[in-house]
Amino acid sequence: MLSYLLFIATIGGIYGLLALSLNLIWGGVGMVNLGLAGFFAVGAYASALLTTVGHGPIAAGWLMALVAGGVAGLVVTLSTTRLRADYLAIVTLGFAEAVRLVAANEIWLTRGTDGISGIPGPWKRALGPDFNAVYFLIVLVALLVVFFLMRRIDRSPYGRALRAIREDAQVAQVAGKPVLRFKTEAFVLSAAIAGLAGALYGHFTSYIAPDMFLPLITIYIFLAVASGGTGRPAGALVGAYVVMTLLESSRFFVEWIPGVTAVQRAALKELLIAVALILVLRLKPSGVLPERIPRARVPPAPRPS
Amino acid sequence: MTKIRIGRRAALAGGVAALANPAVVRAQGSGGTANPIKLATLTPLTGAGGPYGPVMAKAAASVVEEVNKAGGVLGRRIVLVSEDDQTNPEAAVRAARKLIDVDKVSAIMGTWASSVTTAVAPLCWESKTFLCTVSGADSITLLPHQGFLIRTQPNSRLQVTRVGEFILSLGAKKAFTMIPQTPFTQSTFDTLNQVLPKGGCTHQSLIYDDKKTTYRTEVDQALRTSPDVILANGYTPDTVVLLKDLYRAGFKGKILGFAYSINQKLVDQVGQPEVVEGVYTFAPSPAEGSGAYEKVKAATGSANPDPYTCQVYDHASLVLMAMASAKAATGEAIKENIRKATVSGGKVVDNAVDGIKEIMAGGKVDYAGASGPCDFDEKGDILDCKFRYDQIKAGKFTLVKIA
Amino acid sequence: MIILQALVNGIVSGTLLAVPAIGFTAMFAVLRFPNFSVSGVATLGAFAGYLAYGAGLQMAGSLAIAFAVAGVAGLAFDKVAHLPLIKQGALPAAIASIATGLILENVVRLGFGNEPRGYDRPIARDVFLGEIRVSPQQLETMGLALLLMLLVFAALAFTRIGKAMRASADNPELAALKGIRPERIATLASFVGMGLVGVGGMLLGLDSSIDPLTGTRILLSLFAAAVLGGLGSVPGAVLGAFLIGMAEELSVLVVGSQYRAAIGFIAILAVLTLRPRGLLGERAY
Repeated sequence: MLSYLLFIATIGGIYGLLALSLNLIWGGVGMVNLGLAGFFAVGAYASALLTTVGHGPIAAGWLMALVAGGVAGLVVTLSTTRLRADYLAIVTLGFAEAVRLVAANEIWLTRGTDGISGIPGPWKRALGPDFNAVYFLIVLVALLVVFFLMRRIDRSPYGRALRAIREDAQVAQVAGKPVLRFKTEAFVLSAAIAGLAGALYGHFTSYIAPDMFLPLITIYIFLAVASGGTGRPAGALVGAYVVMTLLESSRFFVEWIPGVTAVQRAALKELLIAVALILVLRLKPSGVLPERIPRARVPPAPRPS
Repeated sequence: MTKIRIGRRAALAGGVAALANPAVVRAQGSGGTANPIKLATLTPLTGAGGPYGPVMAKAAASVVEEVNKAGGVLGRRIVLVSEDDQTNPEAAVRAARKLIDVDKVSAIMGTWASSVTTAVAPLCWESKTFLCTVSGADSITLLPHQGFLIRTQPNSRLQVTRVGEFILSLGAKKAFTMIPQTPFTQSTFDTLNQVLPKGGCTHQSLIYDDKKTTYRTEVDQALRTSPDVILANGYTPDTVVLLKDLYRAGFKGKILGFAYSINQKLVDQVGQPEVVEGVYTFAPSPAEGSGAYEKVKAATGSANPDPYTCQVYDHASLVLMAMASAKAATGEAIKENIRKATVSGGKVVDNAVDGIKEIMAGGKVDYAGASGPCDFDEKGDILDCKFRYDQIKAGKFTLVKIA
Repeated sequence: MIILQALVNGIVSGTLLAVPAIGFTAMFAVLRFPNFSVSGVATLGAFAGYLAYGAGLQMAGSLAIAFAVAGVAGLAFDKVAHLPLIKQGALPAAIASIATGLILENVVRLGFGNEPRGYDRPIARDVFLGEIRVSPQQLETMGLALLLMLLVFAALAFTRIGKAMRASADNPELAALKGIRPERIATLASFVGMGLVGVGGMLLGLDSSIDPLTGTRILLSLFAAAVLGGLGSVPGAVLGAFLIGMAEELSVLVVGSQYRAAIGFIAILAVLTLRPRGLLGERAY
């Protein structure tokens, strides 16, 4: 049981990174990225290729994943930041599918639908059964570093500027904020974090394949950010673990529903996730940890003398 | 936080089991069942593999049920846990972790997509859990699995070689393959490009998108080369569309496909016998009139069970007989003994109940499975395999030959 | 010649795609959020029509059932799940609609399992018009789709409620001032839009097969069509659907159909870069 919990905690941490990535642009700037799975894939492939085909060190792979994710983010935003959020949603969804198709079809580069197996894990041989515990710590460190970075951004003037863009891009523009640049920067950073999450995932399970990067995982992350509270990094983190708990506990839960076939159980499980997302959005739109907007200090009004 | 949840759930689950499930209470009363043996199926119940996984899980469950009725194995009851791999390696890995660490199953059976099998395999060999798969990609048995993996599906090179030979036997001069992008695609092309020219047959091919709702242009592309045999090498949902479009286009040549895709469900679904009239299907096969095959028919209620279903039936039977041979139920024990269920010269049995009985009586068994003889080489690949060729005539599958 | 044939094939599939694309874009015009549950609703419509057709109803009757069931389900989800969120912006509503799409997919899976099913409809050989091969059935399906489109256009152009809908889409405030009740327009848009999506699911299923993932398979093409023409523009959706249909078929000749979904993506990226509001802009009509 312990090793299962450890495993789930690690995957939960990787979901947490994805949630932080989404939160930065959704909660932060009010942009949407339905192509999260695509950036996740780009990072996973970049690192896996560098460390298997390229025999590079794992740390270089992770760095590469950050860069590749960021570059992919830049490519997508350059043509889309001018778009309204609803267009962006559709374009990013298409982006994720395009990434998956490239991964499946460009066999010379990605080994196609076979996927890449034997991705090295750090000190895996030396650690033996302790690998999972050590890897959990690695993910935790990455998660905390990104988390504190996000919190810092959130509370900085930069974060306030992003929120201003979210609330009203036109007003922000008029107030002299370089809206386009801010949006691009946020999107690129967010994509880079998703890329890092992909790399961490690949080196943990040692295998990646195009089938992994289906849109369903993006839905999970949206559920995470929505339930945790958009606009607050801690919310994204909590949300990721809430979702992981929901995903995993629903396995045990549906086992106790009598008189249904295996397919129906599987269908009920997915139904449960979807209903949970709607309930959260409807009943607790601000999430478990609602956004706290630091108030700008207002100088005390002069007393009437 | 996660820990608390599990605790509460386990308590609740226990309570429900004790109060509301007389079957469990009764079973515990009959003795020897307090410590059941746990096995798992990990088949696709949602996602692209959805048409295949459910009946696979059912076939495994039927074996477990029969063996339990006959008193279980080693005096212990067998519990089968069925998880959904969602045809997605990410979800499959989580499900496998749960099966291995929480349910503590000794074997996972029925992984279908090659990507799922490749993702789950390291978890299995690291935790000494036995893995039985139906995935065909050549790369799978080359993984460093230390013996913890067998596959009942002949690898794609072997299958396609036989397909190629069959195409030649049909007298083909120009063959055309239509296939979606899968782990077999490249090896199918390579193999056919080798086999067919030797028999004086040219080969051309096209990769299609399995999510399309029409293949008219793809069919035009294929027919432009005026092929006399078309190999339709997809899965059921896309092959339905492809066969209809080939019929509409008036293709007069021969069509050949794998039995996992062109099956009774496909024929029922097309609804019009002319569309599939004369289509050849191809599957790894047991000898004619195999008892195990008949049992799969009965258990699944299908006149023409697909090869995956037959294979999962064999997985469950083999694993249980291996446990009987080992007098132990661990993954390690299965690994050491799986090949003892098919000892040549042993008593030929076609189901796990008879096999276990014979083994417990000190005899040797040679299990003749629903999918074939189930002899494995040291890599876990199937050794010798017959193939079954059927042709659809008036909506019915009629046997052409088993060879 | 093969190019011409591919274009004809593309026009046929584009016509079928146009029906749900109109539904999607019409809803967008009035409700102002991209409704992702169209994937689930298309599947639901296809299955409703399948049941009706199996029960002995004629084609027109089955299409009507598909329309009604999809319309009612879409309306219900809009009222319960999507529209209450629109106050917070288009995004929460859009995200909720991804979830409702998933709900519908799984409701169908609960009821019907995963096996593909087909309408019990005779399959006929193609006929040749000159050197171009066309399927009489696909022509029939295409005819039905065109008829539906004409009905939608006529309703928008000539009926009072259609004009009100257009007015409301173009300028909700002004429309409200003129006494057009936005609630009623929204209800109508949900019902008719989703009804069309359901019919589209059935039309696309008629010639292929249906299973819980039917709608998901067409989702990207449908979005690409609507975005290409300009979200919210009904003629734009039709134009977009034809273009996407033809581009997808031509892509088979050029890069192979394994990149079909990417074609739609590249097309919208290209168009949006040059014309951020689509080919025909966003005027509803």
